Amino acid sequence: MKLLTYIWRNVTRNKLRSLLTILSIGFSLALMTVLYGYMVMQDAWALEASRHHRIVVMNIQGFSGRVPIAYVDRVRKIDGIVAAIPYSWFGGNYKDEQMPFAQFGTDAAQAFDVMSEFSIVPEQLAAWREDRQGCVVDRRLAAKRNWKIGERIPLKGTFYPVELDLVLRGTYDTPQNTDSLWFHLDYMDEKLKQLSSEAQGNAGTIFAKTTDGDVMARVAADIDSRFSSSDNPTRTQSEAAFAKMFSDMLGNIQAYIRNIGLAVVFSLSLVAANAMAMSMRERITEVAVLKAIGFSRGRVMTMVLGEACAIAAFGGLLGIGMGCVFLELIHRVSSQFFPLSITEMAGFWLVYMALVAMGIGFVSGIVPATRAASLSVVDGLRRVV
Amino acid sequence: MIPLKYNLRNLRARWVTTLMTVVGTGLVVWATVLTFGLTDGLEHALRISGEPLDVVVLRKGANDETSSSVSEALAREISSLDGIAIDANGKPMCSAEYVTILTKPRRGNGGTTNLIVRGLEPIGREVRPDFKIVQGRDLTPGVNELITSQRMAERFENLAIGEKLDLNRVEFTVVGYFEAAGSSAESEVWGDIRDITGARREQGSVSSLTLRATDAESMESLIKKIRDDDQFKLQPVKEMKYFENQMSASIAIKFIGYVIGAFLTFGAMFAAANTMYAAVASRSREIGALRAIGFSRFSILVSFLQESVILCLLGGALGCLATLPFNGLSTGTANWATFSEITFAFRFGPTVLLRGVLMALAMGLLGGLFPAIRATRMRIIDALRAN
Repeated sequence: MKLLTYIWRNVTRNKLRSLLTILSIGFSLALMTVLYGYMVMQDAWALEASRHHRIVVMNIQGFSGRVPIAYVDRVRKIDGIVAAIPYSWFGGNYKDEQMPFAQFGTDAAQAFDVMSEFSIVPEQLAAWREDRQGCVVDRRLAAKRNWKIGERIPLKGTFYPVELDLVLRGTYDTPQNTDSLWFHLDYMDEKLKQLSSEAQGNAGTIFAKTTDGDVMARVAADIDSRFSSSDNPTRTQSEAAFAKMFSDMLGNIQAYIRNIGLAVVFSLSLVAANAMAMSMRERITEVAVLKAIGFSRGRVMTMVLGEACAIAAFGGLLGIGMGCVFLELIHRVSSQFFPLSITEMAGFWLVYMALVAMGIGFVSGIVPATRAASLSVVDGLRRVV
Repeated sequence: MIPLKYNLRNLRARWVTTLMTVVGTGLVVWATVLTFGLTDGLEHALRISGEPLDVVVLRKGANDETSSSVSEALAREISSLDGIAIDANGKPMCSAEYVTILTKPRRGNGGTTNLIVRGLEPIGREVRPDFKIVQGRDLTPGVNELITSQRMAERFENLAIGEKLDLNRVEFTVVGYFEAAGSSAESEVWGDIRDITGARREQGSVSSLTLRATDAESMESLIKKIRDDDQFKLQPVKEMKYFENQMSASIAIKFIGYVIGAFLTFGAMFAAANTMYAAVASRSREIGALRAIGFSRFSILVSFLQESVILCLLGGALGCLATLPFNGLSTGTANWATFSEITFAFRFGPTVLLRGVLMALAMGLLGGLFPAIRATRMRIIDALRAN
């Protein structure tokens, strides 16, 4: 207990220096928290995607290839499939805004069976099914845009040469904000047929729910072999693998972020070590006195290390706090790219961050601590600072 | 004024502290400059892709080539319009191109990503900046051959010379590498338009047209003519503007860069302040002596600020130098506008390095300001008495 008091006194002795070190560690750790938080969010996203036993069928050539709408019914008949829907990315412009939210053409009959974690009031679902031009949106998107049931939502196609004149028929609840809108793919396809566009009859991708996780691989292989000799061979993968495709697209930017994080930790340790070394240099006589009155080497070492760790811990707490606030701010501003709020993604990694802070404290204190511990009493007392 | 030498000697006398601060600020500047080098490289690739007299013609409503389609008849009609430049062989410089996206694996288990495959005619090479074959040979139309850039060959499976790429179960052979001044064309795979559309079973489709106007005036009139003709239903975009719009891809990375820069500048600023406070505290007698022999408060302030700035600039210079090995290193990320991979090289131009130096300067000035003020506030008697 006495040791703790002593450490605390030392921490608060040069308040300005301690504060500056704490702030310096704090800002850098805040940055690390933000960078890691981003990666944690992506992992959480992939995990979420693997929970619902869904598979995604796309053309073997990628997004630009066709998946004929007729494939949806054929997928539905495959053993192990609970429900299947076309899920066609529309990417239209709303009024003057370029693709402000995600829009998908799908099939109202089974949409909520496939996306089973989404929920909608039965009356609204029925209203949507009945209205050819109807659409449903994520409740949070409707709230953000202040859309009421009956609102008209015109979408101008960028990928498809059509304009959709949609009417809001309901909102659905989702575990995370998806910033998405669903409309009837049939409605868009009719318009494409009128133009005799080559884009007609394309489901884009098919999302299907399987009975459980064990059959997914078999069902996927089943689907691919069924279409392998057709004009439009498919590639079927789990939803998690599908989601990973998108983060893969970012390329080595992630590895790069990780390395920046490491560089920051390293430079931080230097900064903190420097401050600690400065403190110790000023206290050499004092340490010598402590040793002269009988403090053991171990005790002196613990004292110095404890001080370094205490400062780093304060910096760490401040940094993690700032980082979390920042993550929450990004989430509030752009939930489409940052779908998880900080409370949803808080977890063990925050402890890991705190451990990094302690590590910085330890590394920064170790050299001054060993120096202090091995200081010869006579030299220390003689030294004039 | 107190000579600069005084500061330099002081930094040398306390070399361990100096070194630690320099390396600390250096790393911070390095990390930030690296991120800006990344966005600068990306933006440079897009900027250089746009030729001032080129116009890209898309379907009305399409945001980019990958989502555009133009009928072949219309394409022919456009190419005969007045105001289009004529090349050495007497052909109009109007290139009808077909663009498609394939999802293909990166080398070394880097996951899959989207790859732009462009079908074009020989004239298409003339509307690109400095197109030249650097290895192998140009493709022969009609026999399913492809050319690409060295960078792409290194990043993707099946794209090296001699390797075969599958396109709707039709095998294409890569026969050469080209360069186009580092423009976004170097992120693409090129084939003959008939070969590619044939394999895609979309014979006769054209995604977009790229044409070169004879001069700025005829460019404006061409744009007006194409845009205002209701029969065309086409949308001409200046090529410079077209690629500028794609820079949204770099916004995310830029945002990350600014976040990294801002957080770290503050962090390093406090570190510099710490070092300078210690410098002031341990030199109070010197400060007292300097004041006693007649140096003004102001020159003390300037001297300490100077020292702090030198300290941080040393770090800044070190950080900038440390980015040199990355210069020209190629990397790639997603171009969200076309939904496909764009490769580019890190680029540390003067503006990027200047930003790094300014960052170091800010750290030095702000970090040194309060310690320097403290130094000027000391009373001569107290300062001399201090030990």
